[in-house]
Amino acid sequence: MSPARLLRAVARTVAALGMTVAALAGTAVPAVADPQPMGRCTTSSGAVLAVDFSRWGGPIYRSCGTTPTTGYELLNQGGWRTTGTGHDGPAFICRIGYSGFRNGKQYPTAAEDDCVLTPPASAYWSYWHADPDDTDWTYSRLGAMLYRPKPGSVDLWIFGGTDIEGTKGRPKVTPDQLRAHNSRPRGDAGKPAPTGKAPTLPPDVDTGPAPEKRATKPPETTSPKPEKARPSASHSPTPSPTTRPTTRPPTSSTPSPAAAAPPSGPSVVDAAPAADARHDAGSIAPVVTGAALAVLIGAAAAVVARRRRRSE
Amino acid sequence: MTAVTRTTVAAPATGSGPSPDAGGRRLPRTLHPVAWWVWALALATAVSRTNNPLLLFLVLAVLGYVVSARRTEAPWARGFKYYLYLALTVVAIRVVFRAVFATGITPRDHFLFSLPHIPTPHWYAGIRIGGPVSLEAVLSAATDGLRLACMLCCIGAANTLANPKRALRVLPGALYELGVAVTVAISVAPQLVQSVQRVARARKLRAGRTRGMRALRGIVVPVLEDALERSLRLAAAMDSRGYGRAGTATRRSRRITGALMLLGMCGLCAGAYGLLDATAPAFLGLPAMGLGAVLCVAGLRLGGRRVTRTTYRPDPWRLPEWAVAGSGVLSAILLFSNLGYDPAQLNSTFYPLTWPGLPLVPTAAILLAGTAGVVAPPPGPVQRGDAS
Repeated sequence: MSPARLLRAVARTVAALGMTVAALAGTAVPAVADPQPMGRCTTSSGAVLAVDFSRWGGPIYRSCGTTPTTGYELLNQGGWRTTGTGHDGPAFICRIGYSGFRNGKQYPTAAEDDCVLTPPASAYWSYWHADPDDTDWTYSRLGAMLYRPKPGSVDLWIFGGTDIEGTKGRPKVTPDQLRAHNSRPRGDAGKPAPTGKAPTLPPDVDTGPAPEKRATKPPETTSPKPEKARPSASHSPTPSPTTRPTTRPPTSSTPSPAAAAPPSGPSVVDAAPAADARHDAGSIAPVVTGAALAVLIGAAAAVVARRRRRSE
Repeated sequence: MTAVTRTTVAAPATGSGPSPDAGGRRLPRTLHPVAWWVWALALATAVSRTNNPLLLFLVLAVLGYVVSARRTEAPWARGFKYYLYLALTVVAIRVVFRAVFATGITPRDHFLFSLPHIPTPHWYAGIRIGGPVSLEAVLSAATDGLRLACMLCCIGAANTLANPKRALRVLPGALYELGVAVTVAISVAPQLVQSVQRVARARKLRAGRTRGMRALRGIVVPVLEDALERSLRLAAAMDSRGYGRAGTATRRSRRITGALMLLGMCGLCAGAYGLLDATAPAFLGLPAMGLGAVLCVAGLRLGGRRVTRTTYRPDPWRLPEWAVAGSGVLSAILLFSNLGYDPAQLNSTFYPLTWPGLPLVPTAAILLAGTAGVVAPPPGPVQRGDAS
């Protein structure tokens, strides 16, 4: 129990931990799922991910991923990034960000929700599925890490409140507006866009300035990459490259009468795979300062306690 | 460590008072217990706002300083380190639960170790037991536990610094039965600590066996006996002082008081529910809370008329009391005001690993709460009268 021995034991443990971490970082798990450009998702392959940023003035972004995947992987590749809560870990999706939307800023912001405890049922990212033949959304029974989307299905994340009866907070768009309608992949069929596979490049803590480009500040409502514009999936080939107004097909089974309203909802934008927004691990200076301050006060407490004990 | 040493502690304690008043040496006296409770509860409120491990450790250091500088030599004032053990247990439990009921690991996380995974049936897929554990999960669970631990230590500091029995006096007259119950309840822990210490000391003097089940029996039985004896003595003391007498209240006024209090409490509960649950109807929030408060105050006023009490040796409320309570409340206000700092810095995140920041205003607020260790008068020698 001598201090030197204790110190040595601590040092050994830390070294072992460090080695474990280093070994793991070296042999990063090969990613099974890949981000794909939207045109590579078809009616029977790939899973479409859609995230509605309309609460923050953004569009509904749509992107594509290969299928043996989970809802979580789909939401954490190709420039997408989520944050969990401090209480529940990364499995509870508290914030979602896309590096092509406002430079990867994640929503809701820290001012709206601190993501420490589980968010309230009145304001959270609710998770909806539509299998290939579904005409309406199903509220997810599983968390993002456990759910495995089927090929050709659509995953939708919308922010807002829901109730237990399922009458509130349903998506305003239909699955048909978001899903892929082409039966074979389009675009450069040779290889998937190699631009940014998230997990292969572990954004390790403070590795200095990365040489890669920093998300290039894209305009907000257009496709974030200078890739060639791709006509949107199903309807008449509108000349506007990726943005199309929301049109409601007659199969819409949204129960609310608002479904008949003119198409004033958010636009749908295809989100190309992008590099991750860079993460700043912060500086160690505040930690040193804070620790020094705490140690100083703790030492003062120890001195006072010792003086009292001696005088006793 | 007996009565002799307790009485001699007065002289050095006054001599080492850190900052004497302008007039000169400060007279040792015990601070009003309510001032310590306000200070500690305000600090606990401030702690509830933050998740930043730097600020939390700072709070722990401040609590340690104030307790070691201003605790008395009374029996209940020796228990702070047991609260620290409790805090450590809380953190450990939180980390173990987070590791066992795994919340998933992502390729970006730093893998630490893996627990055996227990597969759950398909219809129970929402919960995972075992599996890989990441550094991020352990760190965020530890800070989460540390926050609760800090709040526990705040309450522990109040228990250590304030005389629980003198705190009873400030309750309104109508609540004196409740006050008795609460005082007995909150003094159970310090008294148990004291009993355990006394039994352990006696065992050490007798050089008895210190291990095994038999030793446990040798500790538990005297402690329980001590607790029983003490409660009987307390009951006798309270009985002789007129506690529990029915007074002159009529049956009718007692019923009205009961109805008012019950309705008021229901209103307060509904109000708290309405305020915390965002989906509750609007009338359940502030209106129910206000109505409940009004009913409760009316019930207390009505019930207070039947109880007449006198106070022996009232505790004064002077400048140091204002300063101690004010420093705690001010630090809580600063931590809730979001003035001059980014509220995101109060909640450090470990996904991805990020160094926590040290926002200036909250740090200053916690240090301000720490000045209670200086502005409070130095504790005097224990008085026999305080113990009962």
